Amino acid sequence: MRPSATAGAQVPAVAGAPPLVYRDVDLLGRADRPDRRFSMVVEAGAVVAAIGDEGSGIEALGRLALGFDRPATGAVEVFGVPVAALPYDRLLVFRRRLGYLPQGDGLLQNLTLRDNVALPVRFATDHRLQEVDRRVAQLVDDFRLRAIATLRPAQATEEDRRRAAIARSAALDPALVVLELPFVGLTSRAASDLLERVRRSEDGSARAVLLTSRDLSPSVRPAVTRVVRVVDGVAVDDRK
Amino acid sequence: MTSAVAAIGRSGARQLSVLGGLARFVVRTVRASARLTRAGRWVTLRVLLNQIRFTALQAIGLVAFLAAILAFLVISQSIRQLGRLGALDSLGTIMVVAVIRELGPLLTALIVVSRSGTAIAAEMATNRVMGEVTALEAMGIDPYIYLVLPRMLGAIVSVASLMVLFDAVALVSGYVAAATSGMAFTRYTAIVLKTLSATDVWLTLAKGLFFGSAVAVFCSYHGLAVKAGPTEIPQAVTRGVVSTIVAIFILSALFVLVVT
Repeated sequence: MRPSATAGAQVPAVAGAPPLVYRDVDLLGRADRPDRRFSMVVEAGAVVAAIGDEGSGIEALGRLALGFDRPATGAVEVFGVPVAALPYDRLLVFRRRLGYLPQGDGLLQNLTLRDNVALPVRFATDHRLQEVDRRVAQLVDDFRLRAIATLRPAQATEEDRRRAAIARSAALDPALVVLELPFVGLTSRAASDLLERVRRSEDGSARAVLLTSRDLSPSVRPAVTRVVRVVDGVAVDDRK
Repeated sequence: MTSAVAAIGRSGARQLSVLGGLARFVVRTVRASARLTRAGRWVTLRVLLNQIRFTALQAIGLVAFLAAILAFLVISQSIRQLGRLGALDSLGTIMVVAVIRELGPLLTALIVVSRSGTAIAAEMATNRVMGEVTALEAMGIDPYIYLVLPRMLGAIVSVASLMVLFDAVALVSGYVAAATSGMAFTRYTAIVLKTLSATDVWLTLAKGLFFGSAVAVFCSYHGLAVKAGPTEIPQAVTRGVVSTIVAIFILSALFVLVVT
């Protein structure tokens, strides 16, 4: 289920452009250090892990990709579109092409896990109620949330909350998903299971994923196509 | 002297900036309503009904009780004083002008501010602090559609409905007060109806619209303005409630100027 035509048509993506590009971006707000610039490309279908310690700059990657923050230097392009230049209304619509898991989970505390998953489908598409319900039921099943779907976030375990939040990020079947520290507090089995589910799009093809992490557990590593180590705002190691 | 003038200027600029922010806030909320999706309309309706249940239905007892007490006190005292002067016919003017036109809407709005305004401001501030507003924006959902619009509509419907209820209970309670002083039902009705006009009905609805909007807009605005963290939530609630009360009194005065 994709965003409605009226919702998505306002900012056309550049055909053939990679899902996400960071070009000479200052991640740490150091205008005086032109040697500390970050560049990276997330190709279609790739799972890229940006690894770094606290203060390394990986915290800024998600907010820059979503257009919450403007890069002080360089550019961030999502599907060829410089997101920071979009006005607020168009940026909101454009974000429906991305899935996003903020640090923590960003679930709405007064909604059940099911209603949290349903939120983007209800508000960012123009489908009929039955279609919306069908898609939500499918997501609830895919991410193994059925037994706990009626719980509120505060009643659920950390793993279930993360599961619901990642299901929500995949709700509109985006071609790119950005996950901020998605595996903190999860077992390695749960982490690999979640990554496996989120990297497959609705039609079974591979989805581009950018995840940030302090480190990468061995169980997750096979699903990752590239690991970029970030130190002091710079990509120091880029391994396929 | 210069610093005093500068301080006044700074304060004035701050107030103007808040007013500008509020105006933008209202425009964005109204504009957002045009972008509701089909399923979004259902969710908004559900949230709206919840708001009306909490803001109007659960406040019926309190509003009716206060309306009854206020009207009883005002009419009892007025009958005693007016009776001495032989001006009992002015009872209708006191009932309509003082209770129904002015005190009723004011008291109703104050009840809604104290019950629901505080809840709206605290909820919005919590949404902001917990990162829920950012999460909504990240999903491409306008927080004005999801959070502000249903609360604004809910407050308008609730305040207008409660004002009508207040008026109805006040009229009945006024009669009870008049009857205990020996006034017949037909006389009381004739006196009140002589002063009551269609303008009062429109005025009640108009005040419901403006006062209800004020409750939702001021409380949402100050709630969503929270930035630093949970310790700011009580301050946001206080700011929201105080500014709403001031706005309601100013609006009330403006209504008097416009109507007269």
